[in-house]
Amino acid sequence: MIRTADGESGERKPVLVHDPTLRDGHHAVRHNLGPDQLRRYAAAADAAGIPVVEVGHGNGLGASSLQAGQARLDDDEMLSVVREALPNSRMGVFMIPGWGTVQDLKKAIAHGVDVVRIGTHCTEGDLAERHLGFLRDAGVEAHGVLLMSHMASPQRLAEECARLVEYGASGVGILDSSGHFLPADVAERIGAICHTVGVPVMFHGHNNLGMAVANSVAAVEAGAGIVDACARGFGAGAGNTQLEVLVPVLERMGFATGIDLYGLLDAADIAGRELMPAPPTIDSVGVVSGLSGVFSGFKNRVLDISRREGIDPRDVFFELGERQAVAGQEDLIVDVALALREEAHSGRPAGESRPSDQV
Amino acid sequence: MSSTARERSGRLSAAVLGAGLIGVDLAAKIMRSRSLDCRLVVARHDDTPGLRHAAGLGLPTATGGVQSLVDAPDPFDVVFDATNAVSHAENAERLKPLGTMLIDLTPSKVGRMVVPTVNGTDALNHGDINMISCGGQASIPILHAIARQHRIDYVEVVTTAASPSVGRSTRLNLDEYIETTQDAVRDFTGVKDVKAILNVSPARPPATFRVAMSVLGEELTAESVRAVVATATEPVRAFASGFEVTACVVDDGKALIAIEVTSSGDRIPRYAGNLDIINSAALHVAELYAATHLSTADAVMS
Repeated sequence: MIRTADGESGERKPVLVHDPTLRDGHHAVRHNLGPDQLRRYAAAADAAGIPVVEVGHGNGLGASSLQAGQARLDDDEMLSVVREALPNSRMGVFMIPGWGTVQDLKKAIAHGVDVVRIGTHCTEGDLAERHLGFLRDAGVEAHGVLLMSHMASPQRLAEECARLVEYGASGVGILDSSGHFLPADVAERIGAICHTVGVPVMFHGHNNLGMAVANSVAAVEAGAGIVDACARGFGAGAGNTQLEVLVPVLERMGFATGIDLYGLLDAADIAGRELMPAPPTIDSVGVVSGLSGVFSGFKNRVLDISRREGIDPRDVFFELGERQAVAGQEDLIVDVALALREEAHSGRPAGESRPSDQV
Repeated sequence: MSSTARERSGRLSAAVLGAGLIGVDLAAKIMRSRSLDCRLVVARHDDTPGLRHAAGLGLPTATGGVQSLVDAPDPFDVVFDATNAVSHAENAERLKPLGTMLIDLTPSKVGRMVVPTVNGTDALNHGDINMISCGGQASIPILHAIARQHRIDYVEVVTTAASPSVGRSTRLNLDEYIETTQDAVRDFTGVKDVKAILNVSPARPPATFRVAMSVLGEELTAESVRAVVATATEPVRAFASGFEVTACVVDDGKALIAIEVTSSGDRIPRYAGNLDIINSAALHVAELYAATHLSTADAVMS
């Protein structure tokens, strides 16, 4: 018997829940998950009926690097372990052109991937043209998603999504990579995209300002048909939308996810016990990362370098925000840290007080 | 090669194939050259905005792609290919029989890869020169110098270019960009384990072109790396004055060297150092070639 999160049945609008725990969660543990961890969580997610389980390095296929962190397992091993553990759920992967190539996509196809997301920064959708076209020709379901989406207007995001559909995407959407949005921001953007394209629209939230579930609710109310969420919120920085909270909330709102509640809670318990030393929390740098609009995945590197250079990591985040650093530009952290250290040594007061509503 | 062309101007005749962001900036740079005469800028179609831009600079323009170069009454001495990685092989096949020197700005991997400060003289004995990529031109002078002095286990090159400085062909050629840059870094440094990454930044105002190099090797020390980087930087600055080291940190067997390039040209924005570095390098190589051929021609005439 399937125990759904809500007892009622009837005409309920479906929402597809996409679970990147084993991909975005990697950011929280320096891309260090091992085969047993991947296998056990994937099997539990499969048993719960989670429709799509995404796996990989935090930045996707081909992204293991000093820049974003070197993964313990290579892509081949991650994909083969998770594929075996998913008899029912579909397997997803993520790739950013400029980090991975068509060669990486071919490998993922050989591993039996079901859904591929090609990500580009918010205004750069045409970087995905070739890869979406390749996937369309290969007959693989391909979605185009826009990172750092707080940096572009609703209209611009809608235009980019329309281009992604032209290139072959059968789903499009936006990632709140910095956890910067408030619910009204999400509603406006998802609404504009839904108005423009005829394919399912996705939203991927981060919890830096405590808004991830509320933002995801705003997204489905504005028409999103796919939402991302991770067990225990396992993800970059302050974490992602918490899966085992979002699913019952959606069910109570009257949406159908097809996910079994106890199975979901069991999967989340396994994640909490076996994937992470502690669940993500909204700590001080998490808040600052969200306010400054900087990618949450910068957190560990900012903390490491700030400690080494003896500076306040919050100042580093605000300065990175000033420079509009985007995901993938982790190398800028060193320059910013050196500049802040210089300033501190030359007597300028570091960490001048800031109003809490800035940005 | 057309000696009549040389006799007319005392310069080698040059054409630019492709009128995207790279092609137009290159044409503007060639106009300032003392040894090259830019006689034609070619696009495939006449609705290419860059073609109107080139015409606005006072340059002759043509449509029809490589065919219009093949059909020219005098073959060109030097043709710069600023089309795309897929087209270069065919362009080279059409133009090489005419004795034209080809300088390829696409990441096609077809011709001889040249970084001017490392193997610029290879341009004198190869008819098809490949300029690798903007990230390759910015990083290899430094990586090659570090690898000559140290045992290196791993090299990573992360390039960030501003959105408005990345044209359509480059956007379609990201995979070639990565593969060609990685291959070139391997060839020039002898290091097997190499990774290249490219970010296109949506920041407004646009971000300055930047290349961050991470190098792993047990012998790396702050003193040795800084000295090598300083020495390798100077000859690049001789033809690309906006080339600057912004960070050089060595910590526990890992070096991070970041460089930024601002454009010194008058027709492209300062942030577009990616266009500036590869075009300045291409022009530098062409001028080396021209210097040899013009002096030979002088010797023959005198």
